[in-house]
Amino acid sequence: MTPFLDVDGLVVQYGQAVAVDGVSVSVAHGERVALIGPNGAGKSSLLNAVCGLVKPAAGRVRVDGRDLTGRKPGEIVRAGLTQVPEGRQVFPTLQVETNLLLGAYGREFRRELVSATLRYLGRRGEIAERLERVYSLMPRLSELRDRPAGQTSGGEQQMVAIGRALMAEPRLLAVDELSLGLGPLVVQSLTEFLFRLSDEEGVTLLLVEQNAALAFELCTRAYVLEAGRLVLAGSSEELRRNADVRSVYLGGPTVTDAELDR
Amino acid sequence: MTELLQLVVIGLSTGSAFALVGIGLVLVFRTTGIVNIAQGAFAVLGGLFMVALVDDLPGVVAGLVVVLIVGLVGSIVGFVAVGFRRRTTSVASLIITLGFALLISALSLLAFGDETHTYAAISAHAWELGGVLVQPQHVAVAGVTLASSVLLALGLQRTIAGQALVASGDSRRVAELVGIDPRAVAAIAFAVAAALAALGWVLMTPVDPVRWDSELRIVLNGFAAAAFGGLVSIRLAYLGGLTLGVAEQLVVGYGDAIPGIGDQARQYELAAALVIMLVLIGWRSRHEVHE
Repeated sequence: MTPFLDVDGLVVQYGQAVAVDGVSVSVAHGERVALIGPNGAGKSSLLNAVCGLVKPAAGRVRVDGRDLTGRKPGEIVRAGLTQVPEGRQVFPTLQVETNLLLGAYGREFRRELVSATLRYLGRRGEIAERLERVYSLMPRLSELRDRPAGQTSGGEQQMVAIGRALMAEPRLLAVDELSLGLGPLVVQSLTEFLFRLSDEEGVTLLLVEQNAALAFELCTRAYVLEAGRLVLAGSSEELRRNADVRSVYLGGPTVTDAELDR
Repeated sequence: MTELLQLVVIGLSTGSAFALVGIGLVLVFRTTGIVNIAQGAFAVLGGLFMVALVDDLPGVVAGLVVVLIVGLVGSIVGFVAVGFRRRTTSVASLIITLGFALLISALSLLAFGDETHTYAAISAHAWELGGVLVQPQHVAVAGVTLASSVLLALGLQRTIAGQALVASGDSRRVAELVGIDPRAVAAIAFAVAAALAALGWVLMTPVDPVRWDSELRIVLNGFAAAAFGGLVSIRLAYLGGLTLGVAEQLVVGYGDAIPGIGDQARQYELAAALVIMLVLIGWRSRHEVHE
């Protein structure tokens, strides 16, 4: 079976600087895969190139078997891959509900912009059903629906960002730095939410994380990126045991090893 | 009293035209973050094209054609100003619109010469209300501006297309991620802004003749109106425009009573009005801080 997302030899350059240097990654239907690595390793650049925000200098991006290298973000969304961007990004002046509705923009409204314009915010039919579905998955958003998204807490904004992505009915949800700047309890509930989403709804997950412990907890498999190159790949179990990964990402194995020797 | 009312009536109509320019600036800034210096040039184009077409076509048709043409010019300016590289800064975009403003002025000078242009008002008659003369042209400007401002505000807030435009101004990156194309946003916002400015001077030219260099005065007034709403509020830009128009007329009307200024009052019209506007903006922002 062809993988849902197949990235082959991707190169991303900003002027002379090479951010991603020939990286290949593949994610199968229904999998939970993480992309870990330190700040500046090229994780987000890779994701942005996949999502069409940045044009790759070389390499291929295939989504569901179709070559979508360098296509516009809207086309990637329509192909079934949606990104939750880094840093809890919402449309701050717009209401939570409008934030969510705009998540369906790339998939629905664009084609029927005129009719969507005529009806009040497209609160009808399939889109309204989908909105109710997102509200039932995240009831907190329903309570906040009329509030400007910029006036909600950090965790709530991350929920808005995830809900907005779900409005596009993605088959693969790519989450960039889920945990960044959020408290441990919020991170835990979001992690559980993503797990349920993958388990019950069959949504494929691609987690881009600096927090390796979180990535290993949620995902079955991970790729390790350093300075734009792929340095390791394997199951979360293998990587968790790997000495290098432990020293760099899991807060030092030296202590544990020393304890073992004692 | 009659004189005061007369000045207020005229002020409200010129102020409406400034408001039209101002809400165009607000629309563009709110959706793209670009300060559109060419907005005054769009108004001048509206006036000059109208003068050129009004003899050959029925007035309403000529007006619509002019508004559409200038809207098209606006969308081209927007398309270019938003930049071909992803990292075009808002300052670079501003400079691009300044370039277009100068280009349009230069072309207007070549095409229409160094004279002031005007055309006959929709009606030579004026209504007299308690000694105050109200020209149909003034009513037309004021009515069209009020209707456009309300429609634009509703369109932005109440339609998904409008909210998509605002979303792009809120966060261009996220807007792109959900499939909103920033180039299309810029083209649409500039087109609507240019059409509004053109509409303003299609209607104003009979009572406020235009020349190739009227652009500066119009864009300054439009900015003052837009600045009243912090460049993001259509409602306040509308009120700002009206306030500015009235203030200017009062300076013109009563300026000759001020010793040392006398007959030159007209020259100080814009300067005095801008000072009044600055004071009002300062007062409003203080007020907001205290809220």
